[in-house]
Amino acid sequence: MSVFQLLNGMTFAALLFIVASGFTLIFGLLRIVNLAHGALYLLGGYIGLAVAQATGIYLLSGLAAMGGIALAGLVLDQTLLRWVKGYELRQVLLTLGVALVINDLTLVIWGGDTFSVPVPPELQGAASILGVTYPKFRLFVLAVGVATFLALWLMLNKTRLGALIRAGVDDAEMVEASGINIQRVFLLTFMLGAALAGLGGWLGGAFLTLYPSADSEILVFSMAVVIIGGRGSLVGAAVGSVLIGMLNTFGQVWFPELAYFVIFGPMAVLLAFRPLGLFGRAA
Amino acid sequence: MADNGVLEVRDLHSFYGAAHVLHGVTLNVRRGEVVGLLGRNGMGKTTLIRSIMGLSPPMVREGKVTWNGEDMTALKPHDIAQRKIAIVPQGRRLYSSLSVTEHLTMLKNARSKEGWTVDKIFGLFPRLAERRHHRGNQLSGGERGMLAVGRALMIDPELILMDEPSEGLAPVMVQHLEAIVASLKQMNIGVLLVEQNLYSALEVADRVYILETGRIVHEGTSAELQKTPDVLMRYLGVH
Repeated sequence: MSVFQLLNGMTFAALLFIVASGFTLIFGLLRIVNLAHGALYLLGGYIGLAVAQATGIYLLSGLAAMGGIALAGLVLDQTLLRWVKGYELRQVLLTLGVALVINDLTLVIWGGDTFSVPVPPELQGAASILGVTYPKFRLFVLAVGVATFLALWLMLNKTRLGALIRAGVDDAEMVEASGINIQRVFLLTFMLGAALAGLGGWLGGAFLTLYPSADSEILVFSMAVVIIGGRGSLVGAAVGSVLIGMLNTFGQVWFPELAYFVIFGPMAVLLAFRPLGLFGRAA
Repeated sequence: MADNGVLEVRDLHSFYGAAHVLHGVTLNVRRGEVVGLLGRNGMGKTTLIRSIMGLSPPMVREGKVTWNGEDMTALKPHDIAQRKIAIVPQGRRLYSSLSVTEHLTMLKNARSKEGWTVDKIFGLFPRLAERRHHRGNQLSGGERGMLAVGRALMIDPELILMDEPSEGLAPVMVQHLEAIVASLKQMNIGVLLVEQNLYSALEVADRVYILETGRIVHEGTSAELQKTPDVLMRYLGVH
């Protein structure tokens, strides 16, 4: 195991965590398996790309990606998902449909070419770390991933909104009966989860590049992370991301023909023994 | 009627799907009054509590629930709670991922000094203060009951709906609970107390209703009920 591969695994894990943490928040609290999460990721990447090309201000492109996708989440929740509340199968089918529509829209607007979100000169090139020379941008993604984990952890564990979200995961009806408009908490959570998909798309747009099937690839990885980590668990998403990031990186190096099996084989074994994932709890 | 702190349930019909559970229930509770709602299992007691709180299911198809004269039948549970009606649900339903303190702080701005505060709840239940860092699922039966009452108090209620608070408690804890209900009455809070534990309910309630297959079949004061063994025998199976 070389340091270089280790860093590859950890930086990919950081990107996965950012996307999967949004997925697990929405899945845990709202019980919605949002199959449009990957499409929101891709759309976020394209929004970041467009804003970066138009303004040249990198930070602004990131904020635009997060804000734009949070807004897309608001529209999705209020216009479509509100009609299928409580019907899990309908939600899954609806969000799958939305994913297909968004994917086709991005194909119409940006075409089938591969794009990379331009990054500022400070994040280009390589830095020396742990005795190896490593791309700066990937280290930046790792830092953002760690910062995202810390910010989400503090929000969930140290703020009143976080307590409301966790209580909502445990027993939404009881929160509602205590005078809290849980629908508003749900909506905020949905927008936050979507914004994380946008953030992931913006970073992934330079890390993995943007192309029409990038959404389903990141979605499959995110689902694996959440299944391993357990629904609604932030720590589970972090641990699951590191596991998947490492398995994917080393799987590609050691068993390139079996890269997917290296991820989904262990996932299947884990599910056989812990059906709710490592940190999952029964609803 | 517009005087303050009156809950009126009038001719309420509630359904679980096609099942007609409540058949025209009528009752009232005033501020500072403890009203017992008795009846055997499956007679519709919890259905009535859920109907008053606006929780769904059940579906209220007919009749009205009014609070201080305002019709609440179409309101959402959080709107009803904001009108100062709190619930201590069956089984307590504490949050297993929240600490004791968080159960209380999540309901109010930490800087708010109005009405009930975390410190006042801990003053009322010193045991909870000792357990403040424990999670909802790490408490004993008695502590769970205290926390469920504390959580209800945090919305500064004028009426508390208590669904079988004595369920699963040791006799000494049931006595403690009776003292708590009596002190709520002293604070001019109305209590609708659903109980299967007849003697506990008669101890603290001013008036009682008996619910039998979704209908009120008896109403009167606790003292009267204690003197009518045939009613007790017939509807509650005790003598």
